Amino acid sequence: MHHANYYYGHAHVLARYCGLTDPAHPPRMLGYLQHGWNIGDGMAPGVPLVDGSPMFVWSEETRRRSVSQGRRNVLAIGAPFAYLTEMTPDAGAPREGTIFYPFHGWEGQQVMGDHQRLIDEVRSVEDGPVTVCLYWNEHRVRGIRRLYEKAGFRVICHGYRGFWWRDHDREFLGRQLAELRRHRRVVSNRLCSAIWYGLLAGCDAAVYGDPMVLEDGDLTFGGEPRLRRQWPEVYGYATDRETCRALARRELGADNLARPMELRNALGWAEPLERCA
Amino acid sequence: MSDRPAALLPEPAHAAPEPPIPGQVNPAAAVLTNLIRIGDEMFAWSDAVTGYSGALRHLVRTLIAGPGTHALIAGPHHDEMITSLVDSGAEVTCLVRSLRDAEALALRFPAVGVLCGSASRLGPAHRYDLVVCLDGLDRLNSAEGTPLTDDQLLATLAKAVTPDGTLVLRHENPLGIHTAVELDPGARERADSAWYPPGSSADRPASLSELTARLAIFGLHATAGYAAFPLPAHPSVLVGPGLLGEVGAPLRGPLQAVLARAYTDAYRDSPVLSDPRRIAGRALRAGAEAVLAPAWVTVSRASGEVPSHALLAGDADGPHAYTLTPADWGATATTLVPADETAVRGGLRRVNGAFPVATGVVLEERLFGLCASADLPGLRTELCRLAAWLDGHARDGLVTGPMALADAGELLDDGTQLGLAPPRWSPEQPVAAGTVLTRIAWRFAARLITSGQPHPWPVTSSATDLAGLLLGMIDRPLREDSLRAALELELDLTGLPLPDRDTRRRELLAIAPGAATIDVPGYRELAEALWRQRYQASHLLAQMTWTEQIIRSRDLHLSKMDWEIQLYRRSWPGRFLMVARSGYKLVRNDTRKLSKKIGKRRAAARRAKRDLNFPEPGEVI
Repeated sequence: MHHANYYYGHAHVLARYCGLTDPAHPPRMLGYLQHGWNIGDGMAPGVPLVDGSPMFVWSEETRRRSVSQGRRNVLAIGAPFAYLTEMTPDAGAPREGTIFYPFHGWEGQQVMGDHQRLIDEVRSVEDGPVTVCLYWNEHRVRGIRRLYEKAGFRVICHGYRGFWWRDHDREFLGRQLAELRRHRRVVSNRLCSAIWYGLLAGCDAAVYGDPMVLEDGDLTFGGEPRLRRQWPEVYGYATDRETCRALARRELGADNLARPMELRNALGWAEPLERCA
Repeated sequence: MSDRPAALLPEPAHAAPEPPIPGQVNPAAAVLTNLIRIGDEMFAWSDAVTGYSGALRHLVRTLIAGPGTHALIAGPHHDEMITSLVDSGAEVTCLVRSLRDAEALALRFPAVGVLCGSASRLGPAHRYDLVVCLDGLDRLNSAEGTPLTDDQLLATLAKAVTPDGTLVLRHENPLGIHTAVELDPGARERADSAWYPPGSSADRPASLSELTARLAIFGLHATAGYAAFPLPAHPSVLVGPGLLGEVGAPLRGPLQAVLARAYTDAYRDSPVLSDPRRIAGRALRAGAEAVLAPAWVTVSRASGEVPSHALLAGDADGPHAYTLTPADWGATATTLVPADETAVRGGLRRVNGAFPVATGVVLEERLFGLCASADLPGLRTELCRLAAWLDGHARDGLVTGPMALADAGELLDDGTQLGLAPPRWSPEQPVAAGTVLTRIAWRFAARLITSGQPHPWPVTSSATDLAGLLLGMIDRPLREDSLRAALELELDLTGLPLPDRDTRRRELLAIAPGAATIDVPGYRELAEALWRQRYQASHLLAQMTWTEQIIRSRDLHLSKMDWEIQLYRRSWPGRFLMVARSGYKLVRNDTRKLSKKIGKRRAAARRAKRDLNFPEPGEVI
């Protein structure tokens, strides 16, 4: 299985949904699983993939885009987070404040922007307590943590997504879902997976502030300007809840989730039939 | 074997049954009184007879006015057709060009008049109430004498009809689907009958409207024009007025199912350029069946009308015929000529009688559409409906009657409910509902692969993979026993003998991306299968390269970790750890051994104590 399939415990969530006996150690997945929301073909740019392998993307729109980019055998199954939300009923606990996700790159990239200006804007817009969730590599930088703590934000990190079959945090998404359900709003300075997750978890969403610049950001699919153009509904200090939730359901394929048995078959986890051909 | 190139050897069907022996005369034929040689008869020649279908036989029988009707059967026809007319009380005359065929015919049917020669020799004395020319115009000419053009042949046939008489004519469509899918290299060169290519007459009617217009010129008014499918010489489905070209007609769905079945039977195991069912389906959607039908059958009279059928179908090689008529719900299939109910295929038996038939679209078409547009929610909904419908017809988990052979290609959906197309077979024993559903899923999956239909799943999926996925969409498992039972039903339907069944079973179980077909081997489908095989091979090669890279990478990591371990072992803390670990292992193993030994001793002691206390047999305590 491609190591990216384990990121954020995605394979583990799907194994749980499929009812596998040992979801902590999911078997090999026969293909590549989209591991983050993106505006390209669903796969992370530059990641080497075996030609002809099946690809499991989140939404029908991503599937179409993926096919247009030369990918084949692409199946829209829905995001693992959507499966997790489906499996974890909301207890209905009271929600409070805002969870803020500053835009992050991955460990090979650095985000260039002014954190302080961002903090000031969030502080001036949000009226309740603010939790900031830093990406693991930013969370390790004491200076960045301090910056947010000084502003009175609660600083958290959902965990490390894992890399190259090691150190995967199986509870990453579970922790994220629980945090999102504690908050009334989810905010980011750039449209990203967390915004869609938050909407699916029942938060209101807003994208505003300096989107920051990604070092060596790939503009093949339009980059940040395209995000604003294509999903203007989620931009601004206040957004329409129902419209944004409908968008989130579409982007995460939440209305198109496979049945457990169907998913087992699609991912290559079904018990093989004995054949006597 | 001569040195003649094998490719030029005649086909058995076109060959004369026996080599001509000059001067030899059939002794029995010498006294035949019912045979008249009218001229241009062909010696040392024999024509293969054309097929006879239940639909054609019924159509002709209904045109017999009663005993004493004079009927001419022009061209070589199947014996069953002649028998059918003789049995109805008609005075039958046959016209054939081969002397050998004419003699054999006259011997087999002493009550039938046989004319031997070309149609050009028919004179004013030859007048009939009914002229049957279901073999077409081509074989009315002879190699001898001057051949007539198609116009002249039509005129000749028209003249042979009495003023109150009827002409039933089958005419091959040069634009028919069969010409588009034909894959028979050298067919014309091999055929000894192709001294002129068939249909090469310059004035050959090229459409149904042109044919009826020509007949009108010769004084005959076509009261019914049918599009005949699936083969020009063996039509078993006739699409008539009220349905022909009417895309909104309620019988459209059943027609599509009936045609698909007829094409499957007609082209089974026959190599073709492309699967004709796909073209036929498109022709139906476009209302172009009259344009693309392999042949037309016209019923013409100088005056008056004859009743016609919107859809007349039946067996391609048996008497069974039925018609479909719209009803309050769906349509009604009425048996006109019953099938032989003693006919058995494996555990299946023929069905007869009037039964309700659903209308609407063919479910398979709808599912194909949903697959092509990757509409997975829509597909789940349809499959759920299908499973619920099937469960609704099951009693104690068993399905009886023709419904047990339901198949997406023969299920019709009017938007509210599902129903069967006209059934032909029914299992003698009830079938488990799970088996029926598995067969539907597997057949659909096999069709997706073998007809090269687009679907959202990996192109490298096998039929079993796809069937598992389809059933998984409705939370049903794909069980091996159900799959095997479903395939046995499938094999029963093919009617194959036992040795061939085993081969076909293996073929069915092995339907994978490289499989081109399960019934009609089409060149296009073969090329598609080849492409999929290449795709799969490329993928496997890429996967091998990737695996090699991963192994190399992991070997490197392993080597680094080994180096680290060795480094740690060499350091003092490492040495201490290794000694401590060895010590721990030693102590752990010794402790285990010791506790085992103690356990054994205690058990032995317990046994000994019990033996001492236990009374001997017969001892009184």
